[in-house]
Amino acid sequence: MDEKALHSKLTASGVGGVGELDESAKDPFVVVEAGSLVAAMTFLRDDPDCRMEMCNCVTATERADAMELAYHVSSLSKHHSLTLKVSCPRPEGGDHDSWHPEVPSIAGVWSAANWHEREQWDLLGVKFTGHPDHRRILLPEEWIGHPLRKDFVYPTSAGEIPLELDAIPMYERDENAPAPESTSERKAGEPLTQPPAPFSSRPLASGGKTCEPDAPKEGDH
Amino acid sequence: MEALEMYTVDRRDDVYTEELKLNLGPQHPSTHGVLRVELGMDGEIITAARCDIGYLHRCAEKIGENVSYLQFGPYTDRMDYLAACNNELAWSLAVEKLLGVEAPERAQWLRVIVCELNRIASHLIAFGTYGIDMGANTPFFYAFRERETIMALLERPSGQRMLYNYIRPGGVAHDIDEMWLTDVLGFCDEFEKRWAEYNTLLTTNRIFIGRTANIGIISKEMALDYGLTGPVLRASGVKWDLRRDVPYLWPYDECEFEVPIGEGTHGTLGDCWDRYWVRMREMMESIRIIRQACHKVPSGDFTEKSMLKMYKTPLKPPAGEAYMRCENPRGELGFYVVSEGGQSPIRCRARAPSFCNLSVLDALLPGCMLGDGVAIIGSLDIVLGEVDR
Repeated sequence: MDEKALHSKLTASGVGGVGELDESAKDPFVVVEAGSLVAAMTFLRDDPDCRMEMCNCVTATERADAMELAYHVSSLSKHHSLTLKVSCPRPEGGDHDSWHPEVPSIAGVWSAANWHEREQWDLLGVKFTGHPDHRRILLPEEWIGHPLRKDFVYPTSAGEIPLELDAIPMYERDENAPAPESTSERKAGEPLTQPPAPFSSRPLASGGKTCEPDAPKEGDH
Repeated sequence: MEALEMYTVDRRDDVYTEELKLNLGPQHPSTHGVLRVELGMDGEIITAARCDIGYLHRCAEKIGENVSYLQFGPYTDRMDYLAACNNELAWSLAVEKLLGVEAPERAQWLRVIVCELNRIASHLIAFGTYGIDMGANTPFFYAFRERETIMALLERPSGQRMLYNYIRPGGVAHDIDEMWLTDVLGFCDEFEKRWAEYNTLLTTNRIFIGRTANIGIISKEMALDYGLTGPVLRASGVKWDLRRDVPYLWPYDECEFEVPIGEGTHGTLGDCWDRYWVRMREMMESIRIIRQACHKVPSGDFTEKSMLKMYKTPLKPPAGEAYMRCENPRGELGFYVVSEGGQSPIRCRARAPSFCNLSVLDALLPGCMLGDGVAIIGSLDIVLGEVDR
């Protein structure tokens, strides 16, 4: 079945809150309301025509106005896949610290979603209600904040070690500035790798100083 | 009399047994990297297991949001560093899907060859290290001998030995030299003989079969429930290979190859030995694909002409999102890229196969012996660089 047939199957199933199918996207997706997510997923898994055996990926994306969750599910026996999206609108003044969008967990439908959801909580601060093991997964438990959020403030130190940020993000660069000149001296047609210099011509680690074995060193008794 | 009483007192009330918490890793040779597993032990039997990952977390997804589309290619190499070409391929295809371009024919075939070579190299590591896990040190050296040849072959077009950055959006980075295809075919002939040698060394070894057969059985339902992919899924008897079922590169459609699945030859379907044997047979299928591809590489451009112009300015795909999945040596690698029209994506999610394959470990270990736990971790063939990203 293609996405269109899957979508009509899903709307006819009696699961409420199933929105329209966006066919203009590269991967056509269905927008589902958060409340009916678990029912829709269970239907997709159990229906003999859909038979979505696998949950491939759960991704949260922070947009300017909402947190958007994308669920990629696929069927191995029927050779089709579908993308479902849940959108959690950003409340007024919702920022990194105050806003943790809540979505029902689908870890009960597919165990595969368990770790994916934990990762989205860890990195983006999306709460999955009803999750069996709602802990951080990649970052340590004592970590503050969710680093993939756009307004995440980089820590300036890790314990006693100060951290310096020298990289300028791409989106802050001047797009109209001329591209930097290539510093590579390789001409077209030249081989990629140059043979290494002969060993004798390489600088010595000692800087050329030699150590006489017989000469008494300073501090020797 | 007093002395006799001393000996009749029951002194065993302070001797008791309790569950032992055992910490496996993160610095442990058989966890294949910095994986830590908290184990509850009842004697030699594992009663509970909890994976602790993240020791190698390098914020790859955050980096992806701060660099351009082309710049992120090398970072994908460092996720699954044993199969760098396959990671680049998935990323390049995702970006190409966003841009709506396709690589020229020659680049497509070259991609197939380098990816299959890299798949063999990756499976060789799985084979060699699994031998070490099971107490057989020799196969590792044999595996590295052939892997060395592959790395030397891949070095010639890419200039790198491990993290190639060879496949880029729009094609491949450099063309191959005239003798390359001949040498690849020569390697194929040589490798077939070596492969037979591996089987006498390890595959049919009685001790090895005793250590791996009937251990860590993953049923078909369990594999699908946990979203396992790649050889781990196929060993459970599911014939699913993205190269065959969802050909993300059309040359795979024109090649003839089998999808090996587990058969429970020495034990139960989906045990450690099946997973091992699926990988071994996949190497031979890769050789088959490479042979066919080498004869079909057409002449022509190795990079899309329109892309070459685009390289001079940062790529700016139109707003939209694309999910691209590829069959990596470890399973399905998916890249979900969300663009809002800027120089860098606003979200670049990697669905790492090792990450999903590892999630089954918590459910698989309880009830096993500790030594079998090592066999199970090894048979999942995880790369921690990809688990933690």
